[in-house]
Amino acid sequence: MILEKSKGYKHVMKWLRSQRKKPFGFQSETWQYYAEGYSGLVNAPTGFGKTFSVFLAVVIDELNEPGGKHGTRLLWITPLRSLAKDLARAMTTACLELGLDWHIGVRNGDTSSSEKIKQKKQMPEVLIITPESMHILLAQKNTSGYFDELKCIVADEWHELMGSKRGVMAELAISRIKALVTGHHPERLLRIWGISATIGNMEQAMQVLVPYPELLKTIVIADIQKKIEIRSILPDHIDMLPWAGHLGHKLAHKLLPIIAKSKTTLIFCNTRGQAELWYQNLLKLDEGLAGQLAIHHGSIDFELRNWIEDAIHTGALKAVISTSSLDLGVDFKPVDTVVQIGSPKGVARFLQRAGRSGHSPFETSRIYFLPTHALELVEAAAIKEAAKHNQIESREPVVMAFDTLIQYMVTLAVGDGFEKEALYQQVKSTHAFSEMEPSEWEWLMQFITTGGDSLTAYTEFSKVEKEDGLYKVKSRQIAMRHRLHIGTIVSDAMLKVKFLTGGYIGMVEESFIAKIKPGSSFTLAGRVLEFIMVKDMMVMVRISKLKTALSPSWLGGRMSLSANLGAVLRFKYNQALDRHPQDEEMALIRPLFERQAKVSHVPSADEFLIEMIQTRDGYHLFAYPFEGRQVHEIMAALIAYRLGRVKPISFSIAMNDYGFELLSEKPIPVSEEEMKSLFSPENLGEDIVASINATEMARRKFRDIACISGLVFQGYPGKYVANKHLQSSAALFFNVFSDYDKHNLLLRQAYDEAFYQQIEEPRLAAALHRIQLSKIVVVYAESYTPLCFPIKVDSLREQMSTEELGERILRMTAEAEKKSQKGKRKNKHDY
Amino acid sequence: MPGRAIYWPHKKMLIISDLHTGKAAHFRKSGIPVPATIATDDLERLSELIETIIPDVLLITGDLVHFELNTEVALFHQWRKKYPSLKLKLIKGNHDLLKPADYLAMDIEVYETEYLCFPFRFIHEPPKQHDEYYNISGHIHPGVTLYGRSRQRIHLPCFYFGEHTAILPAFSKFTGLSRIPAVNGGTYYAIASDRVIQV
Repeated sequence: MILEKSKGYKHVMKWLRSQRKKPFGFQSETWQYYAEGYSGLVNAPTGFGKTFSVFLAVVIDELNEPGGKHGTRLLWITPLRSLAKDLARAMTTACLELGLDWHIGVRNGDTSSSEKIKQKKQMPEVLIITPESMHILLAQKNTSGYFDELKCIVADEWHELMGSKRGVMAELAISRIKALVTGHHPERLLRIWGISATIGNMEQAMQVLVPYPELLKTIVIADIQKKIEIRSILPDHIDMLPWAGHLGHKLAHKLLPIIAKSKTTLIFCNTRGQAELWYQNLLKLDEGLAGQLAIHHGSIDFELRNWIEDAIHTGALKAVISTSSLDLGVDFKPVDTVVQIGSPKGVARFLQRAGRSGHSPFETSRIYFLPTHALELVEAAAIKEAAKHNQIESREPVVMAFDTLIQYMVTLAVGDGFEKEALYQQVKSTHAFSEMEPSEWEWLMQFITTGGDSLTAYTEFSKVEKEDGLYKVKSRQIAMRHRLHIGTIVSDAMLKVKFLTGGYIGMVEESFIAKIKPGSSFTLAGRVLEFIMVKDMMVMVRISKLKTALSPSWLGGRMSLSANLGAVLRFKYNQALDRHPQDEEMALIRPLFERQAKVSHVPSADEFLIEMIQTRDGYHLFAYPFEGRQVHEIMAALIAYRLGRVKPISFSIAMNDYGFELLSEKPIPVSEEEMKSLFSPENLGEDIVASINATEMARRKFRDIACISGLVFQGYPGKYVANKHLQSSAALFFNVFSDYDKHNLLLRQAYDEAFYQQIEEPRLAAALHRIQLSKIVVVYAESYTPLCFPIKVDSLREQMSTEELGERILRMTAEAEKKSQKGKRKNKHDY
Repeated sequence: MPGRAIYWPHKKMLIISDLHTGKAAHFRKSGIPVPATIATDDLERLSELIETIIPDVLLITGDLVHFELNTEVALFHQWRKKYPSLKLKLIKGNHDLLKPADYLAMDIEVYETEYLCFPFRFIHEPPKQHDEYYNISGHIHPGVTLYGRSRQRIHLPCFYFGEHTAILPAFSKFTGLSRIPAVNGGTYYAIASDRVIQV
């Protein structure tokens, strides 16, 4: 059948024409592929109707061959609840105007139980769902009926899901649903489509989503380029920017005119604490912003966030300060400007954030970069460069997540039960578990039925039992507890914050509240709150009379620079001393680099700089691999270990995204000639194990694993408190398994995750190989150099409060300047 | 003692706390896999102590049995029979919920809240009010964190000796640790495998 001549196509085209719209090339391409029976991946910039590429393909199919019965045709997986509402609105409107009698349903954590019951009676034609809710659906009885009419599964924002265990959840659920559909309707062709932003590994992304060899698959890439305008907010003079820092308040006043001339501005910060501080600071600078400025992050109460999002839609807000909580999600029409404060750590994230502005096709996304310290100007130039050449990071798919698999197996056992052999085939067909060994599968089966392998006694264990060939959970208590814990997002112990007079504000970490006394104040959601007491697992507060207060530090991991951005950054350093640089950022920062060149050296892309400095504090070794703080942390420990092998010596370690520092009270026993072998990739694996406490890292990883696999239960504030006789901690299980059940696969997973995600062994090895090929430049400097300064300050930040730190930075800068003005002789040795 | 116990030679009394017998089995029954060897290991360690020290009395400051009767409690019962001459005194803890007859069957002398033996008061939860007795308690499962280089740290169970109250570490290895703030110059004694070190 020729698509263009079909009834459905003509109908959709007529509707589009009535809207004065024309399909984009990639949209009609997707429709064509879909009609031919393909599965695949659609890649297009935001704002160009990605949704309608696949959605209308299903609609056209329906119009051509109407299915008589009601029931879900299209399962639309989205990572974000907030996306669901708007998607449903857009699809409902389209169906209404097309005269298609379809219900669009939403199902996620916010869906009311009455709505769920309605859905059970009559499944909507399109169901928009999160990976977690898909699993909760599979944990119900008689689920197969839900998918009787199913024709297509779509994974929206697939690039976002793929790199996490939620992606694994989606993979598993798809494999199950596909098997259910094929089992009941062998003649049916179930298509699987993904929608993704641009990432470095598009082909792999498709293979992960659609690993099934029997399906035809393709990637549809839109040939439209979104116009992005990147500008840096520059200081008038480089001296206005501190050498180190993370707030960037010095440039805050330059933000005000940008906010004033834009309709709505989104201001992205890297941490929640930073966002709170910026909110206070902007209000201090311009009181006129009161009521027009809002703050949005993951710890703010759901209702409040909803209200803010609605206010952005209506254009009632002039600016919103946010963290990654607004990275994804619905298109806010009024947003025409985005500001990024501090390093975005990766090109993909930066471009994604830029894309939050200027949504309509052919509009330009406008993003401003506000550097928090001088060296970030180079990062700004690097990002521009990377954006120009489309150098975008890859997302690594998660594999062999046994914790997620265990949870999924129990989920199915709580639902209709499963057959062992059939499930093995389904699981094995997913990308995440394609490498799984039969012995591992046996172990997993034992884990959920008898508690563990037969080498260890697990008497009286009861969880999943076999009945008529099906594995099921019989205990209602276990089933209920399991349903409440489906999901792979493990949060820290958080307490809800509530006004004495009623009304929730958000959440803070338990450890933060434990440290502050009643009567003292903190900021949350931009308000200064006085802490009164903790009652019923809730933090009771009232509005404080104080203007400022400390802001809670949420323990969210600090993001690390991507390898991709690191590489571009090294390249940019080549141009640092250019007399006529291309970028205004580089021109501005040149004095700083001239200074660096004077007291030390500016490394080019094929050089590796090491600075040896002796100060009052002791002997410092600074190295600059530009690999991100995570890799530096391990590399520093590795080098410290190797140095210690030569002669016993103890170091304190500090690092940032650019490099790391080793500090010792004694002279560091290494000659220039030995430097290269110090950074050798030989014996890397052994040396890592010897140098860092891998057990400690694995123990940290095990926290999530224990939660996901159902060993320990997260209490939900106010929702459900685990049976007090069943309270335990992940750390305890880690010890118990280490002592009594070494073969435990979950234990192995913890070590694997530590090695590959935390230690990033492959990236570390690659970095060491690169260093071997570089020219090593060792400089003996007289005082702190502009390059090492941010590292030094970062190490202090962990020990001091902000005020103290500010003073200390000033003093250190002054000292460094004094020393270099004296024009002392410097030693510089190249070889 | 590094064996997570205190010995009072004058009274020939061995004092432990928070044995949590049957906890692992209770977990297994609820679908959480905890190896059974952990319970046998706890009892073996206790046997070792008793056979080296040969006390007249074993005093347990609470949480002997975790919640219910199960195979592990039966195992404890068997173990109890090995030491008929040993007096076993229990001060009830929050998890000790067995019936009086069950304790009687195991030849355990039960004290509802406290056991006074001047100058000491043995009690499960550290009391808030103080008097002339020095309190010896459990319940908290105290632990300390030792910090090493490059952000390494290790959590260890410990004894805590405060001005009015001492807190024993939990005897069972299937227990968590909670860090407690030192009040008025209390001292911690961490248990590092076979040694007790003051920190």
